[in-house]
Amino acid sequence: MIRERRQSKGTWRAQLRDRVRSWARRRQGEDSLPVTLATRRVYILPTRAGFAFAALLLLMLLAGLNYANSIALIVTFLLAGFALIAMHLTHRNLVGLALRGVATTDAFVGEHGRLLLTLDNTADTPRIGIECETDETERSPVDVPATGSARAELGISLARRGRLRLDRIRISTSFPFGLFRAWSYAHLPMELLAWPAPRGRRDPPAESTSGGQATAVHRAGDEQWSSLRAFRSGDSPRQVAWAAYARGRGLLVKVYESPAAHHRTFDFDRVPGEVEQRLEQMSAWIVDAHARGESYGLRIGGEALPPSSGSEHRERCLDALALYGDPEPRP
Amino acid sequence: MIAAARPHVAATLVFAASVLLVLFEAPLWCTAVALGCAAWRIAVSVGWLNPPRAGSWRRLVFVTLTVACVLAVLANFRTLNGLSAGTALLVLMGALKLLESRSRRDDGIVIGVALFMLLAAVLGDQSLLRVPLYLLTVWGACAAIAIIAHPGDALPTRAALRLSARALAMAAPLAAACFLLFPRVSGQFWALQRGQQATTGLSDVMAPGAIGELASEYDPAFRVRFEGSPPPRETLYFRGVVLNSFDGFTWRRARSHTWNPPPLEMLGAPVRYRVTLEPSYRPWLFALDTVARSPRRNVFLAHDRQLTAMDDIDTVTSYDAESYLRTRSTGKLSVAGHRYETRIEGEGNPRTRALALSLRAQSGSDAEYAQRVLQWFQEQRLEYTLDPGPTSVDSVDSTLFDSKRGFCAHFASAYATLMRMADVPAHVVTGYLGGEWNPAGGYLIVRQSDAHAWTEVWLDGHGWTRIDPTSVVEPERLQRGLYDLMPQSMGATAQVLRSAWISRIAHVWDSANQWWQERVVEFNARAQLSFLRNLGIDSPGWQHLGWGFAIALLTWIGWVSLTLRRSVARQRPDRIARAWLAATRKLARVAPARAADEGPIAFARRIGAARPDLAPAVSDVAERYVRLRFGPSSSAPEVLELERAVRRLAA
Repeated sequence: MIRERRQSKGTWRAQLRDRVRSWARRRQGEDSLPVTLATRRVYILPTRAGFAFAALLLLMLLAGLNYANSIALIVTFLLAGFALIAMHLTHRNLVGLALRGVATTDAFVGEHGRLLLTLDNTADTPRIGIECETDETERSPVDVPATGSARAELGISLARRGRLRLDRIRISTSFPFGLFRAWSYAHLPMELLAWPAPRGRRDPPAESTSGGQATAVHRAGDEQWSSLRAFRSGDSPRQVAWAAYARGRGLLVKVYESPAAHHRTFDFDRVPGEVEQRLEQMSAWIVDAHARGESYGLRIGGEALPPSSGSEHRERCLDALALYGDPEPRP
Repeated sequence: MIAAARPHVAATLVFAASVLLVLFEAPLWCTAVALGCAAWRIAVSVGWLNPPRAGSWRRLVFVTLTVACVLAVLANFRTLNGLSAGTALLVLMGALKLLESRSRRDDGIVIGVALFMLLAAVLGDQSLLRVPLYLLTVWGACAAIAIIAHPGDALPTRAALRLSARALAMAAPLAAACFLLFPRVSGQFWALQRGQQATTGLSDVMAPGAIGELASEYDPAFRVRFEGSPPPRETLYFRGVVLNSFDGFTWRRARSHTWNPPPLEMLGAPVRYRVTLEPSYRPWLFALDTVARSPRRNVFLAHDRQLTAMDDIDTVTSYDAESYLRTRSTGKLSVAGHRYETRIEGEGNPRTRALALSLRAQSGSDAEYAQRVLQWFQEQRLEYTLDPGPTSVDSVDSTLFDSKRGFCAHFASAYATLMRMADVPAHVVTGYLGGEWNPAGGYLIVRQSDAHAWTEVWLDGHGWTRIDPTSVVEPERLQRGLYDLMPQSMGATAQVLRSAWISRIAHVWDSANQWWQERVVEFNARAQLSFLRNLGIDSPGWQHLGWGFAIALLTWIGWVSLTLRRSVARQRPDRIARAWLAATRKLARVAPARAADEGPIAFARRIGAARPDLAPAVSDVAERYVRLRFGPSSSAPEVLELERAVRRLAA
């Protein structure tokens, strides 16, 4: 809905917005977490209501001057001062806020991926009505308590399979009076995968059996992990190997592997039909197999994922489907 | 209340409040319609009534109502121009907006209309009494703006009220500075058309009972602040309308009777004073007998020294006047002047005419005749009363010979008639005599009940001479007000207000109002310059105002940014950050301080390389800190552990 509205607005507005954004990008450069919204990167302008209020004040001023009406002038000056205070309050509501964490969650095409933002407030006053948005999402307001933090969750509707790249978060507020909007950009590279939607009615390929015990070890906090892999957005923080991080190896995630007794292998080459349909069918199989707790493997485009189970495996399989044929990243 | 309804309710309440502010500007039916719409809007928002179903007919009804409202205002006022018609239109359009308002933007428009009505109310009435109402409305409007900007539970009503009160309080110094220093313009670019109002006070027609009708009105007509000590009470004749045409019953002011007066000599020291006139919706200005010149622009000083403004006095109006208590005119009255000032239409009042002729025959000169008539008034033991009963068509005859009772208007009319019948030029002057001294404010309050009528007689060698026949009938009137002489004439309000301790409070309140009027309401370009002069600027001009304004604005902005910044900058690092800071401070003795972009882990590694013995402890602290700071959650025991680890750190 929001995208439609944006398109329907005059093109000069869109152009102006784009120019402002690219100017801000050039000016600020790439950011790295945590991003503190310092004064020099917080912009502020009156809202539409603010301009209307200014027009009203101008009329009141003219009337007051023309009729030499002292009370009209006092009221006008009082409201003008009020508007300036409103500007200060709005600006102050944003300045100093820090964007500590950004995490993305992948999702199927047609669903909403998620962008989780963690906002830190070191000031001793709460920050109310902080609205975060990206080019792909609507605003969602959150309140950040005094000397605390809050999470903003943005839903990103995924329309096409593949990578969705975002490089900018706009954090804004019009609190408390809605007469001004202060905003700031955080330029951070973010990536979401849109998995093929699980669709298709074909039967999955037959099971094959291999040796081993059917015990799925997937316990968080258990130190019996089998390997480490790089942190991906969406990973549970409980899986992060903090000890490894502390040793300066970067953010790593513990992977628990379990041998599976029965398994199927979903082979892309063996699914008939068009590419997207085949991917969707495989996606449906993975979802079903995961729901049943089965073990399954994946073979696609020269990549082979050995049979396994668990959320971790499911995501890896779905990621492989999403990235098949290296669809062009957006935008 | 449902949270979603709050923006609508807030905007509607502000609207209703401002409708009440213009209660006296807009016709009653407009107010009723607006309040009805507001009540309906609130009922729908809260859910007591079902909202109207959407549909094309709703649009139609809305357009029809709009047209009907415009036509109704047109029918009521015959114009859409002017303050009253404009206000009525504003009230109705705001009410219609309530009927169709759904979105946040609509609520914003309703608040805008409410602020416009506040402007209309302010243009209509600037009295001190209403200032709290204006301020409350402004406060409510600001709070409603906050509520609209953040619908739902994001901003509770109380928080909105608190926030806007704080913002307005911080804006107040700027408003005061702007009020004093913002350059004003003098003169109007376009005039305000006010609606017809009932006139009060003296008129330019005086039937015998006219002045008596004002006796029960306790409302102030004007206030006078004298420069220096006030003149003696018996000289406080405030001249108003000069009535120069008599038809045997009624005195009128004939505009055609103009003639060139002989030059006037002003004797003695002038009395300077400032008059603050209450709106009378009539064009006359009042000044002490005799005013030296026209006190302000657009006020005409007639040949008979009557002051007439171009327009009716429809707002509180002030002017500085200068009068001389003694004047002389040694010239001769022109032929036309003599003719006009001795003319009586018709042949009425035969007994008075006979008296005039006989008394004139007994007197050697006009001056002697004037004295004789006064004496005759005294001898007749005429009674000074508010209720002399009805008079016949020959009003003077019935006053002097039948009832022998009268009020000032009767005596002034009779005396001037006696003069004119003997071919002595004379006319009746209406105005005010005396007044009530307000010790709290040091000024004179002249009320409608102080209205008075007297005569002026042309005596060769002296010119126009004030003769007050009432002073012969009731000499006390010169020294005391009507209510002191005739307490029974007081209305109920006046009786309460004149009781001892209430009158003291009333005086204080009146002087507060007068201060407000003089210092705030009438603060104009000239007052601005004299304010600068008091600050010590010798020849103040626009540039001083501009500089002063700029300095005040910058000072205020500095103050505001300091005040508001402090509450953000006063950041207390939390326990985790404090513990880590303590650790880095301890370790600063071991190795160069941590660079800003050096991560905690890299820092720990550097320390470890420099002091291998510390390595495990430091890396433990760094690891805990990283886990707490960037990890998913931080529990209190973990924070305690970190603090303990930092304490154990022995650098």
